[in-house]
Amino acid sequence: MSIVTVQLGQCGNQIGHEVFNAICSDVHGTHGLCSKKENESYHDACKERFFCEEESEVPIARAVLVDMEPKVISQTLSMAARSGYWKYDDRSRFCQKQGSGNNWANGYSVHGPRHKEVIMNLVQKEAEKCDRLGGFFTIMSMAGGTGSGLGAFVTQCLRDAFPTSFILNHVIWPYGTGEVIVQNYNSVLTLSHLYQSSDALLVHENDVIHKICAQLMNIKQISFRDVNQVIAHQLGSVFQPTYTAEGGLHYSRNPLGDLMETLVPHPEFKMLGLRNIPQMPENSLAYSTFSWPGLIKHLRQMLIANAKMEEGIDWQVQPPSRLLPPLQPFPNRPLHFNTSIANLVILRGKDTHSVDLGSFRDPSLYTSWLNPRDAFNAWKTPRAFNKYEKSASLVSNSQFLLKPLDNVVGKAWNMFASKAYIHQYTKFGIEEEDFLDSFTALEQVISSYTILC
Amino acid sequence: MGQHKEVFYPLPPVLYQLLINVLFSIVFFFSDNQIRFVKSALWYHGYDRPELYRLPSDGSAGSRELLLAFSWLLHRLSLLEQLLARNRVKTGDETSVSPEYGLEDGVDVRYLQWLNGRLRFQWRSLHAQHQELCKLLHKIHLFTSGSHMDQILGHFSVTETDLVRQPENYKQLLQLLESETMQLEAFLEWKQLEPVYWQWMVMNQTDFGRCSFLDSNIADHFQRPLPTKISSKRDILCCFLAGELFYRNLPYFFFFPLFFLFSLQVKTGGEELQKEGFSATARKIQESVELKLLDLTYLCAPKKNKMHGSCRLVFRSKHPASKTGFGSATEVIRELQMREASLERELKQLREECRQRLDEIAEGLDGVICISP
Repeated sequence: MSIVTVQLGQCGNQIGHEVFNAICSDVHGTHGLCSKKENESYHDACKERFFCEEESEVPIARAVLVDMEPKVISQTLSMAARSGYWKYDDRSRFCQKQGSGNNWANGYSVHGPRHKEVIMNLVQKEAEKCDRLGGFFTIMSMAGGTGSGLGAFVTQCLRDAFPTSFILNHVIWPYGTGEVIVQNYNSVLTLSHLYQSSDALLVHENDVIHKICAQLMNIKQISFRDVNQVIAHQLGSVFQPTYTAEGGLHYSRNPLGDLMETLVPHPEFKMLGLRNIPQMPENSLAYSTFSWPGLIKHLRQMLIANAKMEEGIDWQVQPPSRLLPPLQPFPNRPLHFNTSIANLVILRGKDTHSVDLGSFRDPSLYTSWLNPRDAFNAWKTPRAFNKYEKSASLVSNSQFLLKPLDNVVGKAWNMFASKAYIHQYTKFGIEEEDFLDSFTALEQVISSYTILC
Repeated sequence: MGQHKEVFYPLPPVLYQLLINVLFSIVFFFSDNQIRFVKSALWYHGYDRPELYRLPSDGSAGSRELLLAFSWLLHRLSLLEQLLARNRVKTGDETSVSPEYGLEDGVDVRYLQWLNGRLRFQWRSLHAQHQELCKLLHKIHLFTSGSHMDQILGHFSVTETDLVRQPENYKQLLQLLESETMQLEAFLEWKQLEPVYWQWMVMNQTDFGRCSFLDSNIADHFQRPLPTKISSKRDILCCFLAGELFYRNLPYFFFFPLFFLFSLQVKTGGEELQKEGFSATARKIQESVELKLLDLTYLCAPKKNKMHGSCRLVFRSKHPASKTGFGSATEVIRELQMREASLERELKQLREECRQRLDEIAEGLDGVICISP
């Protein structure tokens, strides 16, 4: 089972590169802390997922690189080749001379249709190299021009061309303070379009990752590269091989399918957030020890209190008691309690088999119409990840992103009400009506997540 | 209905054990209580004779009923064929279709949507897996093409390729094939003796009051010339049941009115008509019914559906030099039966036309009496 990664725009290409780097360094590291046989099957499963070997000396990433400007792609290609561990296929890229100028409509309505055939041919070729195509993993920013506009268009094309394949979109949520003036417009358009064609949206918020870099990684001058590396580490901790079934004998060959089946079967709820623990600078790892009960306790509190990282968790938040008969039709939950639809916990490292995950199977964590048997799943492997002796990740379909979504839609709506910058979009064929459709779609998503109980 | 004497078969436990073994191999649930298991499994398969379900739960009586149930399984489910098919050694590559699913009701619709989504995703995973299987099979078939002794096949199957790679596995395969051959031989022997078994069953079960499928009299009833006078409702019912038995692939609601009308006509018209007139009418009706039946057999014969069930996969290049079907024997038989029915229909039609033409010719000839065939 293999995953074809589609890297879109500057952001998507840079993060994609870091993801392959993280995966490769994890596989080649000597930190595995498990039997040789275990390590070998982990290695093989990882190779099958992300790389094809063909005749070349080093594995070639199963990826398609798309950008309108050549600069980032050529940098990415040469950096990968220099690593000596892996590389991109030179023929598997598409770039033009001119960017989308941060205009979503330009990427979606102009560049997309114009270059559809070439891009989809590249994707098709990459898909044909897989014995079993597990699906697509697209990486892009939500607020930019090429990545978001063209990305939304390409996702739609993927859905049309591969109706039975899984599509997971990884999107980078822009900084709240803003890099681009129309970022909220772009975000609203991207999210609403992706919600139609994608199976799940895995979201990383730049603000959150920035905080992690500052507070957990102790980085003073935070660069995009630092942020991207944290994101890549988190993604690697989810997508590196695991045993997805209790007592399974083989590493899962269907990572995207297993993930989707656990978290996003309901078409109204597709927003996934990601948390991991522990996260710290590499040189501090040697001086730290962790216990599973401690890690699990923290991770659970991060979930229910919607904490972005292990520092600054609000320990006061507790799930509402179901023993008390509710006076209203819905049990009255504290506002800051984060209700889940479904959660997936991934444990890597020593003694994972003995970890008690009962606290995640508490029915009060979940919406009333799903029981924990359906709503919770755990993947495990004894193989340690990226030098962490023990590590846990949480992929959650919950109210994690409700507030950021509400913010973005609110800001965009305010701008739209005064008709600001609309002409930049109508110029490329995105009309006011399209905006209204997008607003409506996202309001629906917000309302669905709000009334979870 | 009164209790039947347990004379011939004093060993219900043995029969229960037989049914358990048989049912267990074709049903997928199991209950600790063996008697209950037998009853529920038979119920699951649609056996609805109330006498069986009234049998004591300690298994002390009912060998006749059990034997009847066993025979029913033998007849209705093609039990032996099913078991043989299940245990068949598969040396070729096969493919099959997936079963259907049902959903509970009375739950939150969002939960149903969730389950539906999961099903959709599982189906997609299955689809991807299937595509992978096809891709790998294609690789094997392509790489081994021209290697097979059988010119029609041309290439190795997965099992054969595995044997080439690991020749030591052939012993195991040989053992399996030998045991399958033994089973097939036993089956052939059974097929020869089967009429004796049914005869014996009929002999022993004739005092069963109800028209059951076992009652060969019912079957005869249908093939015998029609009675000049329909005496009772029972006869109508028997006609109907016999029809249902012989043409159970046909929608029986089509039959019932047909038979019912027919008998009604006979009954009401019988008193008024002269004897000759009546038998002529009866013959006419009989002929038209038979024609209709033939038509129906032809129309309702199961459509050839190669995508259903298991079938052998053979790789063909773009220029198919020879085309050989790998259908099962039953499929071939079904097809031949279909063709037989249509040919017979055609024959009847042509005969009728010939007769008419002969009559016309005879009318034009003076002094010649022509007796049409």
